[in-house]
Amino acid sequence: MAHRDKKDEEDGLVNPFLGLEKSTVLQEARAFNEMPIRVSKCLMILTKLLFLIHQGDTLGTREATETFFSMTKLFQCPDVRLRRMVYLTIKAMSTISEDVIMVTSSLMKDMTARDDTYRGAAIRALCTITDNTTLQSLERFLKQAIVDRNPSVSSGALVSSLHLLNKGHDVVKRWVNEVQQAASNNSAMSQYHALGLLYHIKAKDRLAVQKLVATQIKKHLSSPFATCQLIRYSLKVIEADPDANHDDLHDFLESCLRNKSEMVVYEAARAIVNLKNVTARQLAPAVSVLQLFLSSPRPVLRFAAVRSLNKVSISHPNAVKTCVLDMENLITDSNRSVATLAITTLLKIGNEASVDR
Amino acid sequence: CSLFNLEASLYTIKGILILDNDGNRVLCNVCCRWLCLSVCCAPACAHAPLCPQYYDDALPTVKEQRAFEKKLFQKTAKANAEIIMFDGITCVYRSNIDLFFYVFGAASENELLLATVLGAYYEAISLIVNRDTLEKASLLEQMDTVLLITDELVDKGIVLNTDAESLARIATTTKS
Repeated sequence: MAHRDKKDEEDGLVNPFLGLEKSTVLQEARAFNEMPIRVSKCLMILTKLLFLIHQGDTLGTREATETFFSMTKLFQCPDVRLRRMVYLTIKAMSTISEDVIMVTSSLMKDMTARDDTYRGAAIRALCTITDNTTLQSLERFLKQAIVDRNPSVSSGALVSSLHLLNKGHDVVKRWVNEVQQAASNNSAMSQYHALGLLYHIKAKDRLAVQKLVATQIKKHLSSPFATCQLIRYSLKVIEADPDANHDDLHDFLESCLRNKSEMVVYEAARAIVNLKNVTARQLAPAVSVLQLFLSSPRPVLRFAAVRSLNKVSISHPNAVKTCVLDMENLITDSNRSVATLAITTLLKIGNEASVDR
Repeated sequence: CSLFNLEASLYTIKGILILDNDGNRVLCNVCCRWLCLSVCCAPACAHAPLCPQYYDDALPTVKEQRAFEKKLFQKTAKANAEIIMFDGITCVYRSNIDLFFYVFGAASENELLLATVLGAYYEAISLIVNRDTLEKASLLEQMDTVLLITDELVDKGIVLNTDAESLARIATTTKS
């Protein structure tokens, strides 16, 4: 009963985003031109505007451009929060409005500002509206940002560079030294983004990828995300040349099974069971960590483990035999997908004796 | 598209959704990038715009997006199972009083990676919207902050930051 009362009360509240009319919001957006700028009012209008775009409302090019133009006036206001919302709107409108390029200089000013709080976000917004011609003029700043000491700045620049690879592969390729530097001395997430960018720059050159992976596995990457990524790249290297000796890579994969992050342990186990010519000796430790996950209280872990073991059971049914008991416990799992996967796995590895139980 | 083939790609997050308890959109931030990768792998899609429009080639219209959301909601509303797979996606989710939070990626994606992202997202939002009252009404009041957190969490499908405290801090900075 208490719950119901609460709900009724809620329904009485006005949801500011319900039944928003496009024309009304665009009308309100004219307030951007008013001086002095009223921060909270403008914040609300920008939120409504983003909400409309997220809901799938389509703005016409003319109305979008007009709104975009008045929004640029908000750059005169130093409020950080407002500025960040302006960036979001720039990104959301970058494909529907014309002449978005006119905010380039404002964003460039922000990305080189002394205040770190919005530099990363400014870079990401700037790179969304950048085309091939302006990319050249940004090059110097982006290279600097990649090696910036602030992780949000360097991550912002690295991720943007990755997005830009499609537009200007040749330009981004030239930043390889800076990216390399970011990969070795920055925060955990920057490490991840730098490693990803390095891989994508070199992806077409098999030897370069091999070399990259060989160098990186010698370091102890602190980021679980970066380590997962490196596991994937190692798998690529092994797959690309299955006959070569990859002992160092196999050792790396096995060492990741002892990582303190479950995400990494799982990624390594998953990589090992997916190896094409995997030996029983390589498979055993991977199967045992997956077996441990089977009895985890977290559904996500059980799901991940049973899904991988299901895959193993197709190619190496014998390797999964040890998990039969744990698997049988999952037949009645509260998560239906887990139960289904457990049953199909058991069918693949089962014999008459287990069918009886 | 060979440049960003799925397994080795940094574009791991296909979408983030917040639905209310009727299955309506509260926030939807779907990264079109992935869909282009998984659905078509023709050379043409290398030129697909990196736009913040939602559901790219696979679900191009709002109608199809809503249909997907409806299906997702129907499959997840009753069973509090945390993870689900269908239609080529792996989706981890979390619900509370009247909200459902979803993070989804490719079917082949590391489920724990998705769960880490979802955990960070939920935690960061809880930090700014008081934990006891993380529900639709309070979330709507702080919609701008939620949008900023989403932006700091994932950038066009790439995981940007999964530290809940720094996400909340960045999104609530007001001083200039």
